[in-house]
Amino acid sequence: MIGKATLVAFLTTSALHAQDAEQLFVRRVSPLFQEKCLACHGNDEKKIKADYDMRTLESAIKGGESGVKALVPGKPDESPLYLASTRQHEDWEPMPPKEADQLKSEQLAWIKEWIAGGAPWPDEAKRNAIAKASADKWSAEDGITVKVKGALTPEWANRRYKPDSLWEYQPVKKPVIRMTKDEHPVDALLEVKEPAPEADARTLIRRATFDLTGLPPTPEEVAAFESDWSDVSDRSDAWLRLINRLLESPHYGERMARHWLDVVRYADSSGFANDYERGNAWRYRDYVVRSFNADKPFDQFIVEQIAGDEMQPNDPEKLIATGFLRMGPWELTGMEVAKVARQRFLDDVTNSVGETFLAHSLQCARCHDHKFDPVPTHDYYSIQACFATTQLTEREAPFLKSENTSGFEEKKYLEARRAEHLAVLKSLDEKLLQNAAKWFTEKKIDPAKWNTAVAQAKQGGGKNAKKGFSDVFGAARQILTKQGVPEDQYPPKLVGFEPQDFGNERVARKGLERLKWEMERYEPFAFSVYNGVTVPMVNVYQPLRMPGDRMKNGELEQTAILGGGDPFSPTTKVKPGVLSILGSIEFPEAVEGRRTALANWIASKDNPLTTRTFVNRLWLWHFGQAIAGNPNNFGSTGKKPTHPELLDFLAATLVEKGWSVKEMHRLIMTSAAYRRTSFQARSSDELGSSSYATFKPRRLMAEELRDAMLSITGELNPTLGGIPNRPEINIEVAMQPRMVMGTFAAAWVPNPLPQQRHRRSLYALKIRGLRDPFMEVFNEPAPDFSCEAREVSTVTPQVFSLFNGQASYDRALALANRVLKEKAADPISRVFELTFGRKPSTGEKAACEAHWRQMEAKQAKLTFLRPKPPLEVRREAVEENTGEKFSFQEKLPGYADFVPDLQPADCDAKTRALADVCLVLLNSNEFAYLY
Amino acid sequence: MKTSLFPCSGGRALHAPTRREFVYGLGTSLGSVALTSLLAAEQKGPLAPKQPMVPAKAKNCIFLMMEGGPSHIDCFDPKPALEKLHLKEFVREGKMKSAMESGKRYYVRSPFAFAQHGQSGAWMSEPWQHLAKVADELCFYRGCQVDSVNHPTAMYQMNCGNRFGGDPAIGSWVTYGLGSVNQDLPGFIVLPEISYPQGGSANWGNGYLPAHYQGTALRSKGSPILDLQPPKGITPEHQRANLDLLGKLNAKHAEEHPGHDELKARMNNYELAFRMQMQVPEVIDLENEDANTKELYGIGKDATDAFGRKCLLARKLVEKGVRFVQLYNGTWDSHDYIERAHGNLIRGVDQPIAALITDLKQRGLLDDTLIVWCGEFGRTPDNGVRGGTAYGRDHNPKAMTIWMAGGGCKAGHSIGATDDRGMEAIEEVHHVRDLHVTLLRLLGLDDNKLTFYHGGRFKQLSQIGGQAIDKLIA
Repeated sequence: MIGKATLVAFLTTSALHAQDAEQLFVRRVSPLFQEKCLACHGNDEKKIKADYDMRTLESAIKGGESGVKALVPGKPDESPLYLASTRQHEDWEPMPPKEADQLKSEQLAWIKEWIAGGAPWPDEAKRNAIAKASADKWSAEDGITVKVKGALTPEWANRRYKPDSLWEYQPVKKPVIRMTKDEHPVDALLEVKEPAPEADARTLIRRATFDLTGLPPTPEEVAAFESDWSDVSDRSDAWLRLINRLLESPHYGERMARHWLDVVRYADSSGFANDYERGNAWRYRDYVVRSFNADKPFDQFIVEQIAGDEMQPNDPEKLIATGFLRMGPWELTGMEVAKVARQRFLDDVTNSVGETFLAHSLQCARCHDHKFDPVPTHDYYSIQACFATTQLTEREAPFLKSENTSGFEEKKYLEARRAEHLAVLKSLDEKLLQNAAKWFTEKKIDPAKWNTAVAQAKQGGGKNAKKGFSDVFGAARQILTKQGVPEDQYPPKLVGFEPQDFGNERVARKGLERLKWEMERYEPFAFSVYNGVTVPMVNVYQPLRMPGDRMKNGELEQTAILGGGDPFSPTTKVKPGVLSILGSIEFPEAVEGRRTALANWIASKDNPLTTRTFVNRLWLWHFGQAIAGNPNNFGSTGKKPTHPELLDFLAATLVEKGWSVKEMHRLIMTSAAYRRTSFQARSSDELGSSSYATFKPRRLMAEELRDAMLSITGELNPTLGGIPNRPEINIEVAMQPRMVMGTFAAAWVPNPLPQQRHRRSLYALKIRGLRDPFMEVFNEPAPDFSCEAREVSTVTPQVFSLFNGQASYDRALALANRVLKEKAADPISRVFELTFGRKPSTGEKAACEAHWRQMEAKQAKLTFLRPKPPLEVRREAVEENTGEKFSFQEKLPGYADFVPDLQPADCDAKTRALADVCLVLLNSNEFAYLY
Repeated sequence: MKTSLFPCSGGRALHAPTRREFVYGLGTSLGSVALTSLLAAEQKGPLAPKQPMVPAKAKNCIFLMMEGGPSHIDCFDPKPALEKLHLKEFVREGKMKSAMESGKRYYVRSPFAFAQHGQSGAWMSEPWQHLAKVADELCFYRGCQVDSVNHPTAMYQMNCGNRFGGDPAIGSWVTYGLGSVNQDLPGFIVLPEISYPQGGSANWGNGYLPAHYQGTALRSKGSPILDLQPPKGITPEHQRANLDLLGKLNAKHAEEHPGHDELKARMNNYELAFRMQMQVPEVIDLENEDANTKELYGIGKDATDAFGRKCLLARKLVEKGVRFVQLYNGTWDSHDYIERAHGNLIRGVDQPIAALITDLKQRGLLDDTLIVWCGEFGRTPDNGVRGGTAYGRDHNPKAMTIWMAGGGCKAGHSIGATDDRGMEAIEEVHHVRDLHVTLLRLLGLDDNKLTFYHGGRFKQLSQIGGQAIDKLIA
């Protein structure tokens, strides 16, 4: 039998002294509860889950809806709070629920010890006293607190961070590099073990050309470089000459723009319900191309995009640049609340600036202080306050000499559509007048007043000035309303309409509305912003022009922290500010200048986030993997840099080189790491993908695939910039009815001429609600979210697209035709040279020639017809108002002048058979992959 | 039995996503065009069936998406109070004041008579003639709320959990979590209307999940899958010959580039595509179904032919081992002429849906198949009486009716309620994220574990976590 004294002694040895348990609570347990539990169990009183409140000892003991005591002081193994946290117990669901949030064994031990020690829960005063007394000791042991502004709770403000989780906020420190003779600093910092040998000349020029221009080298370029390279003593210079040539190519800017537009989510339409076209977004796209081609210092590039309009309002280029702020999808329809829509813009731009330039996903701090990173909600709204006076506008900005303004004559097709819609509305108006006459007869009401009103309306030409179309019927109704005639004495709106009429009226009326946005394409306006008060709006159905007085007719927004992110729940007011962990800056009180201050802070050489963010992206664009694995998120949940010193070296160098992006390409591409072969006995996969022992091969991006095909067939039109073009996309998708708010969007009608269609993919009209299926299956990102890195997946629809699709057949035929037209002595070799940049092996040549002969026999038996371009398309759908089936003919005037690409019917069997060989080559792995 | 301190479930975590994403197996001999080895290897692909995380009530899901927003008030949630209020003025207050403001607004009664059906006494409006006969198979839920009043944002939220689009659809999450039995067909198939809904194909997009989990639309007109067949005149033999040359060139290339598995994956992909090209037309061909079945689904009748075909195809796909099938119908956006518009819409789907339930049941598939019927939101008890006397209804994110059948739902019950005018849910009220958690739970998945690391954090369908609505689960 054990005596009482023995039992007490036993307990005190296994549990902590009361004082230690209190310390443990303050130091470990309480912050742990805050981090892991209280979001659902106390911080928001209205949303306590399972009735379990962990804010006080009493409620923590009491437990939740199970009715079982959750905490038994002294007995961790009987305390469900602990048992649930172990995730091992049969009776209690694992907590926290998300596997990713599970407690570490060290954290579990704290809870266990604390409960065993009697679960003391000192009051706030005592907690503070304990914390103060031990502050130095704890921070030495536990990591550091950081100073930020306006945390919502003291616990969060006093949260401790492991120093290495704050790496991104440390000043950029250029490392001292120990280099051997002739070693490149990048290689010295990569410290590659077992490096693979240098790739051959053909591989290198292909790699560099795609990386810097997004296009393949021509056979002539390959041959020239191979000859340059063969002089072993001159290789470094030959390589540098190649890089310089490519950096001077105008296609360099297009390639960089593709990367940049992925990050900023470029599209030519607004998304959501209306998905209206953003007629002048293309000018921003071209601004990006120009900026990279001119090697505009990157800090300037940043500032222009955030605050160009404030700094140089008279320079159209700078107005165009601020299109960046509006790249996210946005609309305001009559169905939604204007304030909510406005807040959507503010949230979008806040997060976008954070992700794009600072690698911070700021939206995580919209409703609460950031769960992991030292970003309080206060910071989120401080940055948002910089945009509180930013208003959306399509702003007058004369075309620049550097802009491509050709091709505006295509407007005539839009005008033809416009005329068509107006004609429909006119005939429906006439029909309504007839229906009205019938109505009076049926109702046996005297139509005299009505007839007078109609005559009066017709005198005005019948055209409704506001709506811009014929509406005698509507005008007559208005006249009678104004005269005070009772509503039941004249016909109701749309009297006697059949389902077909409803549909036709709607399609025409909405069609006119949509055309306004498309017509904007040819107008000297920029997709831009201005500063001023927020004008009350119910919906936005036409381009927004600048108001005469920016400070009149609206509310000067006062930014406040929004409870739960809800614009109807403002709490503490905040002033413009920056990420407070990096200090603070002065902001002007005025409406103007807030963005300039923010932009200058971001684009400062001393901002450790900005330079690191950009060089990290640049590295990704060359190596297919970033140094810090989440280029949009340097936060503690993002991947840490694999080579932090390299990242800092590049960031520091960017500033030293005057923020020249081209200099950075030269630096990165002259490293041995960039020039390695992709293959050796042990691949990078085995050595770890970030070993850089071999060069990581990549599949071509969707745009590269298409552009490369056009390039090798000789069809590519290399013109730079201008209004978006419309290549042929899968015809079924092009013709498919597409629902937008209240109507169908117009069909996708390709440009009439091949040279207009065969522009680089960068220029293809990008509609959020209508993606080119070819691009989509090859992992073109949707423009809704910022794309920090392209995905690459291998799925069957890619085969359907590339092996069966009309476009591939067209390219294959064009390639075959080109080679035979050139009268190449050895057509198969020429096809190989164009496609792969090399000659075929004997075996390959024999196999392809045999195939050519075999297919010629098959092709000789085939006959092809010339397809007729569709001049109209029948649309069938359920009419929204009536639920009845409804169909109409959509005219496609753009097809009237259509000149098809080279057709099988234009070619002989021999050409078509060679096209079979070409189709195979275009589908081969050698073509699709870059090594 | 688990006691629940916190109402969430336990189970295994899904294995971490692999860095490289292949389709359909590796390990065939280079350049081989033989199919046999492929078939064995496929079981390791991204769509290979996986064990559920928690005990599953259903294996498959057929999701009937009535896009446009069906009116609960005119379908399954009768509001006699509107009889008295009919054409009395309605005033919108509060935050929503500026939305849907187009002149004077009036209460509008339902044009349809309501009756109770089955032993459960489920309320249905008069046009639901066939569904009434299987009333006891249904579990109605009237407590769901969403955040958005616009179609595409509400559609995105119902389908993908996120109002702004771009996130993975629920079908993508389910196939990511469970794989799919049939490796020759996509695991997530969508049967859209000829015109895609607002928001387009992003409604069934894979978002940040690997592209294998993307919904594949089987189009009701033209080529069922885009470019499933080569241009006219190109025979399978012709294509086979091209494919053989491709195999030869790729094999040589792969030999010269060892250690790069993606090359093999891409080669296999061409063979799989070639097989799909043969199989898909067979799968979607309904002509071999017997006449009684076709009649059951209303195929051949004007009103029901289109949706009848979709429902029958959905049954075939589930039978073939496709995990998740989503059917679209609409648009139910009846702002005017609710009697004519909703009447036609209901009559278009009523018989096909009832047939689907009956058919699945008689084949013993209903227990394993969860059927969900919903729109992106419900409708208001009022409207602006646009077009004169043509009563309709506007969008209502605060009240709607959803029903489920089969696969572990609480058949024969109506859960939750809206207020006496159908304005707002007042009983068993849950945000749509809880509905998502519930659907996943029924299919054996735990929303908190079904996560994917993207952009520097773990993401999930419910966005921020939610609670299963236990009352909906049998």
